[in-house]
Amino acid sequence: MLARGIELLIDGLARGMILSLFGLGITLVFGLGGILNLLIGVFAVVAVIACSLILGTVPELLVAGLGGVAAVALFAFVLDRSVISLVYREEGEDRVLLGIFVTLGLSLLFEGLLFVFFAESYFLESSVSSVSLAGVSITGSSLAVIAAAGVLFGLIYYFFNHTYLGIATRTVIQDETGAILCGIRPRRVQSIVFVLSAAIAGAGGVLYALDAEVTPASSFELTTFAIMVSIVGGVDSIRGTVAAGVVLGIVITVAGALFGSYLATVTLFAAAIAVLIYKPEQIS
Amino acid sequence: MNVNVTRDRLPTVIVFAVLLAIPLVFFDPSTTYISRRFIRVMIFAILAMALNIIFGETDQLILFMGGIAAVGAYTTALTADALGISPWLTLFLGALFAGVFGALVCYVAARRQFTVIVLAIVTFASQMIISELLVGLRDITRGSTGFPFSGLQLPAIEQATGLGSYAIQFYVLVAIFAGVLGLYTWLRRSKYGLAFAAIRQDEFAARATGVDVIKLKVFAGFIATFVIGLVGPFYGQTTGIIIPSLYSFNSIDVLVLIVLVLGGLRSRYGPLVGAAVIIYIDNILGNFGQWRTVAFGLLLTILFLYFRDGIVPSATELLAERTPLGSVLDRGKAE
Repeated sequence: MLARGIELLIDGLARGMILSLFGLGITLVFGLGGILNLLIGVFAVVAVIACSLILGTVPELLVAGLGGVAAVALFAFVLDRSVISLVYREEGEDRVLLGIFVTLGLSLLFEGLLFVFFAESYFLESSVSSVSLAGVSITGSSLAVIAAAGVLFGLIYYFFNHTYLGIATRTVIQDETGAILCGIRPRRVQSIVFVLSAAIAGAGGVLYALDAEVTPASSFELTTFAIMVSIVGGVDSIRGTVAAGVVLGIVITVAGALFGSYLATVTLFAAAIAVLIYKPEQIS
Repeated sequence: MNVNVTRDRLPTVIVFAVLLAIPLVFFDPSTTYISRRFIRVMIFAILAMALNIIFGETDQLILFMGGIAAVGAYTTALTADALGISPWLTLFLGALFAGVFGALVCYVAARRQFTVIVLAIVTFASQMIISELLVGLRDITRGSTGFPFSGLQLPAIEQATGLGSYAIQFYVLVAIFAGVLGLYTWLRRSKYGLAFAAIRQDEFAARATGVDVIKLKVFAGFIATFVIGLVGPFYGQTTGIIIPSLYSFNSIDVLVLIVLVLGGLRSRYGPLVGAAVIIYIDNILGNFGQWRTVAFGLLLTILFLYFRDGIVPSATELLAERTPLGSVLDRGKAE
């Protein structure tokens, strides 16, 4: 019983870390520029597909994964320079609304294209083997996810606390006008963060595919999970989003094992609604 | 009768004359395909009209239209089934349930002063919960496989008039559309229209001038979700089955948004024109599988980036500039 509980906690932690990565994809772009990026799920799926394709030419999953993330970053860069720039021209609530509709339209467009050209399901096999310790069996995929996501969080922490660009990004999130007065160009920071958020979501997608099959249809589901995690964590709080992802991942995994998957999903959305009702100002 | 009033009513007379003639000209009892397309146009026109009331007039963006339509459809069908009575008797119960649920959401949103995006996300999350519950509570809802539904027919009227069931269903929907259009026109011309405009321009200033913002937002929310809940069962009737996927975000909300923006936000006939164009495009794209999703995605993106005014407002503006008829249509738009 205890062993099963620990197994669930570890699987939940792995799932939660992936949710945190998706949530960060939303938090960074919305917190910085007011655009609710509904393309996060598409970025995740594109990274998985790119990784699978590259895996045909290179033997290492790590290299293929990095290739997939790089492909998504390039894709996001092109989108940012073209369509997303038009959204950033708007101000205030107009930008928020236009951001929702344009990223919704783009997500439908790319989801459809993925269905047309890459309709099959994708699964990435990790070479990490399962470990048994004092009666607790930890799956290889969970270990791989916890290790890889741990490294990623370390890099993200370093970026936002110890690099000029990271600190500039946090400054723009807190006070755009003040940042301009300090000589920071918000649009440039917004572009970099858009690409960074896509790369983070892409990495989340690759880790997600170690434990679950990914299809083009997964993109919508992953986007909704990302929004909910981001909301529960507070859309302008990077730490809050990471914490919310981990907690919700554990809650969903445990609730799923105890009550079934649909009640676990209901729990996730209900938590998001409760947070929004209690503290709506954190997403205003 | 005043000449201006007659001119104002001219577009209404033309539109309804065309709508009433459609079954007589196009419906063929041997093939139901065309009939279903026209019925779909009316359903989406009514849904877009409901979104016009809540989003167009009071800036409350709701993304749970599919969920609300499902609440109306499931309540109507399951209650009728449980009580062993006709769904016609439970139709308003379903709509009322949907309306009360929608009003409650709008009340919480207005009291907590949700911004557009907060309400959008709350309603979107509610839609996900409704979808999950519809699939998960299989003992009540019969899960993802759904159940057959064709209870909203009027055999007595079919016999008396000699019209087919699809023609009767179309006329029922035209009647609902007329009712919602009449209500919307009245709302815009009455003191409510002024209050809605005040809320849209500056909510805090509206409060300061004595407008009861919470009451008005809840009122608009109730009307819109009541109408969506009323249409939900008819949507199920069109396909002959009530199933969760029929009422998903992608099946309803996305289409209704495109219909309203393409037709023209806050225009009286925009929803009808938008629905006709979109269902026609959908019909053509139906043979191209997933390219349909690609095309709708592209359309939504382009519409919002470059064409937010919509067909009806753009056309009336163009007509007003170039022809005397335009002045009649333009006045309708200005109202």
